[in-house]
Amino acid sequence: MKATRRWFLGAVGKGSVALAFVVQLAAAARAFLPNVLYEPLKRFKLKQPDQYPQGYTFDADRRLFVVRDQERFHVISAVCTHLGCTVQWRQDEFACPCHGSRFSTDGTVIAGPAPRPLPWYEVSLSPDGFLEVDSAQEVARGFSFTPPRAKA
Amino acid sequence: MTARERAGALWRRLTWTWDPASEHESGDAIVRNLWLHWFPAKVARQSASWNYSLWLGAASAILFLILNVTGLLLMFFYVPSTEHAYGSMKDLDYAVTLGWLLRNQHRWAAHAMVAVVFLHMARVFFTGAYRGQRAWNWLVGLALLLATLLASFTGYLLPWDQLAFWAVTVGTNIAREAPLIGEWIRFVLLGGSEIGQNALLRFYVLHIFFLPAIIWILFAYHMWRVRRDGGLAAVEPIRQARSVQPKATPATKSYSLFGLTRGTSVVVRSSTELEEQDEVFASPNLTRRLALVFLIVFNLTLLWSLLANAPLEEAANPAVTPNPAKAPWYFLWLQELVASTTIPIGGLRISGGLIGGIVVPGILLLVAAIWPWLDGSPAGNEGVWFPRRRLRQNLVFTLVFAIIIALILMDIFLRGPYWHLYWPGTSWPAMPRTL
Repeated sequence: MKATRRWFLGAVGKGSVALAFVVQLAAAARAFLPNVLYEPLKRFKLKQPDQYPQGYTFDADRRLFVVRDQERFHVISAVCTHLGCTVQWRQDEFACPCHGSRFSTDGTVIAGPAPRPLPWYEVSLSPDGFLEVDSAQEVARGFSFTPPRAKA
Repeated sequence: MTARERAGALWRRLTWTWDPASEHESGDAIVRNLWLHWFPAKVARQSASWNYSLWLGAASAILFLILNVTGLLLMFFYVPSTEHAYGSMKDLDYAVTLGWLLRNQHRWAAHAMVAVVFLHMARVFFTGAYRGQRAWNWLVGLALLLATLLASFTGYLLPWDQLAFWAVTVGTNIAREAPLIGEWIRFVLLGGSEIGQNALLRFYVLHIFFLPAIIWILFAYHMWRVRRDGGLAAVEPIRQARSVQPKATPATKSYSLFGLTRGTSVVVRSSTELEEQDEVFASPNLTRRLALVFLIVFNLTLLWSLLANAPLEEAANPAVTPNPAKAPWYFLWLQELVASTTIPIGGLRISGGLIGGIVVPGILLLVAAIWPWLDGSPAGNEGVWFPRRRLRQNLVFTLVFAIIIALILMDIFLRGPYWHLYWPGTSWPAMPRTL
């Protein structure tokens, strides 16, 4: 085939129409990646420190455990690291109903298919006196937070 | 032509006689009829036999048809919203006249379709019907199997009950285990990073349009291939007995009746190798049996729906996972796999979600896909059940099938709260369903 001017202009014409078609398809596909998420924030407030009893308290809305030891607090995720079911607290361990993973009191995997320990989240005190958790911020096991005594 | 005559002509075009008086009438019924024109005019006696195919393929297509009709009707009563979906289920069960029957029949036909599709696959394997030029249709069949499983999965998500919510959770977390693109796949499937309205709507549209459309298209192609490949593999022994090698397709573009009589149409290719006594007219021999299979399948799903209600758990509750949380029976073997295949390598633990959820099913699917080319058994054993010379192949398939069924049974009967094994006779501890 001879690369004539007529052929070249024809190829450019058809090619650009075809390209526009493909780009339009890609643009339609892009709509499936949402730009705005109407989801709960990763950083949220819990209750006031005094409202938690000693030991493990399950927060159903946030799917985590607030652990109080005297005046020290830490927060462990209740989402199984295997496939995301909610683990349950059974006095001395966490157990998952879906595939049988078990975790010790600090979230270490004892048995079952879970690949990683339950993550611990950063805890702080909000200016208005509530425990505040940042679930985007994992902290090392052994982390603890002691809320400063409110001035009487 | 009077209006009466015109109506009569239209009636004849849409209906046909179940008891043709002549061969001409028989052939006419197929070729001129809107509903039947995709059948061959004549089929091999063996293709229509009950004993050979058990009509499992036809049964799965009929179940799919039932699912389409009941599904369309259900769409009038179902709202794909996280707030209203569960209420729609309760309305169907208690407020809509016979709504429970509609929902039951849709759910049970879906369970039956999954079972029948697997049995159809087993039939095709045990009769060696995937060999030679039929290998391509085996691949189409595998794609149909996958689409069927996806349609069931997306289907039981829609009630937005506990089963649905935790199935989406586990299912999309398995997808997340895929290397590199896992997070992205999960994000696209859910339309976000958490399970909510976007996820329900996406799975809904997949369920009511895209997956059925894919299944219809693949089904049409599957049927077309059956005819291209010369009918069911059951005709192969007859062909061999006649010792006629398949002829090359004559070069022609004619699909017409003239091509048919001259023997130059593609449709004629296989039937020319069979002799007249090997074949019967599709009308009424195929049409009657198809009608009978339809009535049997429909009435069995109806009976099942009258005797048992479709499962519906408590409304979706992200805080509480049911204990134990079990998938529907056809996914239980996968649940057992993801629960037991986490592998520790040094300090690293490779999740069962990846091994049992992606790698093992992927390998099974891959082996099934290339099996026609792995199969080294001698040619000439197609179209017969359990031929001796395919003993090894059939044993491998039976073993895999048996393992899957054993895992399913084990998970139904022996897995209790916290996924512990409870032997038959021991009682499960009572577990609160809510907090």
